[in-house]
Amino acid sequence: MDYFHVNANYIIWKTNHLTVPKEQYTVINRTAASVTFTNLVSPNLQLTCNILTFGQIEQNVYGITVLSGFPPEKPKNLNCIVNEGRKMMCQWDPGRETYLETNFTLKSEWATEKFDDCKTKPDTPNSCLVDYSPVYFVNIEVWVEAENALGNITSDHINFDPIDKVKPNPPRNLSVSNSEELSSILKLSWINPSINSVIRLKYNILYRTKDASTWSQIPPEDTASTRSSFTVQDLKPFTEYVFRVRCMKEDGKGFWSDWSEDASGITYEDRPSKAPSFWYRINPSHSHGYRSVQLIWKTLPPFEANGKILDYEVTLTRWKSYLKNYTVNDTKLTVNLTNDRYTATLTARNIVGKSDASILTIPAYDFQATHPVTDLKAFPKDNMLWVEWTAPSKSVKKYILEWCVLSDKSPCIPDWQQEDGTVHRTYLRGKLMESKCYLITVTPVYTNGPGSPESTKAYLKQAPPSKGPTVRTKKVGKNEAVLEWDQLPVDVQNGFIRNYTIFYRTIIGNETAVNVDSSHTEYTLSSLTSDTLYMVRMTAYTDEGGKDGPEFTFTTPKFAQGEIEAIVVPVCLAFLLTTLLGVLFCFNKRDLIKKHIWPNVPDPSKSHIAQWSPHTPPRHNFNSKDQMYSDGNFTDVSVVEIEANDKKPFPEDLKSLDLFKKEKISTEGHSSGIGGSSCMSSSRPSISSSDENESTQNTSSTVQYSTVVHSGYRHQVPSVQVFSRSESTQPLLDSEERPEDLQLVDNVDSSDGILPRRQYFKQNCNQPETCPDISHFERSKQVSAGNEEDFMRLKQQQISNQNSQSCGSGQMKMFQEVSAADAFGPGTEGQVERFETVGIEAAIDEGMPKSYLPQTVRQGGYMPQ
Amino acid sequence: MRARLTRRTLFSLVLGLLLLSTAAAMRGCVGPYQHLLSQLQRQAHLTEDTSSLLEPYIHLQGLNTPILRGSCTEHPGAFPSKDALRGLSKRSFLRTVNATLDRVLKGLVALQKQLLEQQDLKELETARQNIQGIRNNIHCMSWLLGGSSETAEPMQTGPGSWLQLTSTLDVFQAKLEGCRFLRGYHRFMGSVGWVFREWGESPSRSRRHSPRRALHKGVHRTRLFRRGKRPVPRGQLPW
Repeated sequence: MDYFHVNANYIIWKTNHLTVPKEQYTVINRTAASVTFTNLVSPNLQLTCNILTFGQIEQNVYGITVLSGFPPEKPKNLNCIVNEGRKMMCQWDPGRETYLETNFTLKSEWATEKFDDCKTKPDTPNSCLVDYSPVYFVNIEVWVEAENALGNITSDHINFDPIDKVKPNPPRNLSVSNSEELSSILKLSWINPSINSVIRLKYNILYRTKDASTWSQIPPEDTASTRSSFTVQDLKPFTEYVFRVRCMKEDGKGFWSDWSEDASGITYEDRPSKAPSFWYRINPSHSHGYRSVQLIWKTLPPFEANGKILDYEVTLTRWKSYLKNYTVNDTKLTVNLTNDRYTATLTARNIVGKSDASILTIPAYDFQATHPVTDLKAFPKDNMLWVEWTAPSKSVKKYILEWCVLSDKSPCIPDWQQEDGTVHRTYLRGKLMESKCYLITVTPVYTNGPGSPESTKAYLKQAPPSKGPTVRTKKVGKNEAVLEWDQLPVDVQNGFIRNYTIFYRTIIGNETAVNVDSSHTEYTLSSLTSDTLYMVRMTAYTDEGGKDGPEFTFTTPKFAQGEIEAIVVPVCLAFLLTTLLGVLFCFNKRDLIKKHIWPNVPDPSKSHIAQWSPHTPPRHNFNSKDQMYSDGNFTDVSVVEIEANDKKPFPEDLKSLDLFKKEKISTEGHSSGIGGSSCMSSSRPSISSSDENESTQNTSSTVQYSTVVHSGYRHQVPSVQVFSRSESTQPLLDSEERPEDLQLVDNVDSSDGILPRRQYFKQNCNQPETCPDISHFERSKQVSAGNEEDFMRLKQQQISNQNSQSCGSGQMKMFQEVSAADAFGPGTEGQVERFETVGIEAAIDEGMPKSYLPQTVRQGGYMPQ
Repeated sequence: MRARLTRRTLFSLVLGLLLLSTAAAMRGCVGPYQHLLSQLQRQAHLTEDTSSLLEPYIHLQGLNTPILRGSCTEHPGAFPSKDALRGLSKRSFLRTVNATLDRVLKGLVALQKQLLEQQDLKELETARQNIQGIRNNIHCMSWLLGGSSETAEPMQTGPGSWLQLTSTLDVFQAKLEGCRFLRGYHRFMGSVGWVFREWGESPSRSRRHSPRRALHKGVHRTRLFRRGKRPVPRGQLPW
């Protein structure tokens, strides 16, 4: 310390590299200090002494290992045992753990002699086996000394005679013998241990029947003295007993020996102590006034047989007269009995004697059983199947319990047992199986015969079903499904089915469980989603658990049953109704429709040319209105305009048309079929061509029936080319066949550059939107309503016709109808309507010049006759 | 005065040492008289049984024939007779038994060395331990009776009657001598047992030789021998 120029105040103590607090330091002098530990947490620690040098540097000076622990506690409960023939061993309680090496030494001495110390082994500090054999009848003093680094201590001294600590060897060669005179005794013999020569012994004798698990003990006071044999009384006849013996010092000092080896013996036989259980069964087949009756009985248990049963004696008595005796080795006897009442007795016999007789009344054939037991219950308890009932009001002689396993696979093979008439509860003594359903029947037996049987079902021990129910769908709806299943067969139930649980889920959905009572065999799942695949399985539960059945899948439909019908039928009905209404409407408006679709085409065969002339008043009474329309009285007209610039060859239609033209030319005298066409007539082809020249050349051939060219009066070029259909049944005039005339008109038309290059008329209006009829009608009115400006209007109409050539058909029809009406006067109702229309138009056109009469045929035409 | 005080102090010191030594010597002798007597009776009964030593010895030495058994008789005067023992006072009896057993132990050691060295006769070792136990109980009984088992000389047996396994004897004679010695031993222990049983049956003698009640209550010494009757000289005890 002088080297470091420090004193004891600079000493630092550390334990396991941790600094000890300064409060535990004590400076002894300038160069010494001490440290005090009041409580060490570890029994082994490193203590180092360090000096805090200049610069606060700790310098280790010295270190030691400190072992801490406790001084030994005073050994307690010292006791010794002397196993016969071996050395003495003493044991004690060493006390708490000292955490130090502690030596225990067993010391012993006589008054005149000291024995060698017995030092314990490290692994057994609480016992020691001395090296010397104990000397009996000499008191020895024994004590234990415990010593470690922190001190030593001595136990209390015990002084004893080793003979009082003896544990004798067990009795050996135990044997059992019986007595023919007494069937209730067995004599035990054994050899005592050798220590019997030194001390007196007492004994414990245990016995039990061979099949029993608990022992009975001979009263200790009967075996309190030294002996080598003992006779056990009050035993059951013909019963095997097992014995064992042990011994100890008579005064109770010391220890009991181990038990001897077991020895068994059988008591001698005695007569059967009880009558056998006796019952009968009647064969269902009954013929010729006899009954086949099977008498059955139970073998007596050994404790009642009291020996080996040699045979059984059966006596049958009808009324009170003796009938017959049977000696049977079996436990059943089948006899044919009449329909009378019989009494049967049964006795069992062994080598000593007979049992009491068991009496059974077999009632007459027409006997009616009554008075059954009530409140019959069966339940498992303590691994047995108990049956309990309430006795009938009538005095019962005995009860017969019958039971069998219920199974779908095997028949009910009954077992049975008999109980006394005073018994109201018992257990079935047969070999019962778990998870099997037993049908238990209790029949009271009265003096005059059996009573009515009562039955119940029970399980000795239930188990989960071995198979789950198979669920299936009975009906699947859009949002619900009716599931059904069959009751589980009794062989797989393994218990009473208490309830079912239905688990169903979609592929992605959570599983939903529904509990269903066990009495049900179907269940309706509701709130399902339509058009969804469902997986469903079913679990049947007994009291011991459940078992899943196979999974079943089904898909809910998209539509509910009848939903499609509910949609389709009204739609169909609506459609039908609409159609019907349409038909009715059409029927009602057939004239109007007819007017639009089937124009009233006059029959040419019935037409006649009015014989009139400008100088001759028409035969018909034409009014001014009719006359006003005379020039403009157009008939059905077909106009074909062929584009001149179109260089394409004629299509086949036009070719055929060309042929038709030629044919027409050749037969022009017969081509005046004017009135045979109509707007819908297919015999009037509408031909269009892009070839204007060709069109020009073929103009004459495109004229349908007749083409009336309104060419003005007397070589005056009419401002409007008017086509008029002739109502005449006469052949066409020559002028109609003149192409130059037609060409003139055509040229006029074609010279109009406003017209579209490709236009043609059709009989049917395919583009009504471009030219509705009403507009044509209005335009027609405008045309026909002109008075002073007729010419100009006709010109405009021509232009209008050219612009609206697609609707020319309707417009022409209008004109045609007007013309027809004017020509033939009132006819059909439709005609009347048209007349009305025309009348209005006529009223509008009232001021038209009368020069436009039917006579206004073109130049070269014939004059009406 | 000073000398008187010194003598008193010295006396007290001697007395204290005596009591301490007595207490140390009596450690382990805690049983009551009847218990100790019972132990002695049982020990005597145990050791008088020839099956505990003599019979194994006879079988081991090949002496199990009727003739040899007949020859295996006790040496006269080798052990005190029953009558002689019965005539002794309790303390003399205890000293005599103690001394006799001490010689028996020596004889057993000689027997073990010369005849049974190559053979294992565990009964011999058991007998030796039992004799030591008897001597321990005699010691305690003597203490209870107020004396020491070693304070008086035991009665002497006659010359030449004790076991003498000299080299002059052949093996057979030595075996036979051993057999005769053991028979005398068993007989002697039977006599001892007899006397002890008499102790238990005779309250008067017990009363006469009542055990000391407690060490701290003072030592009540009784005379072992009756007044005017001297111990029988060694070797003079008649058979």
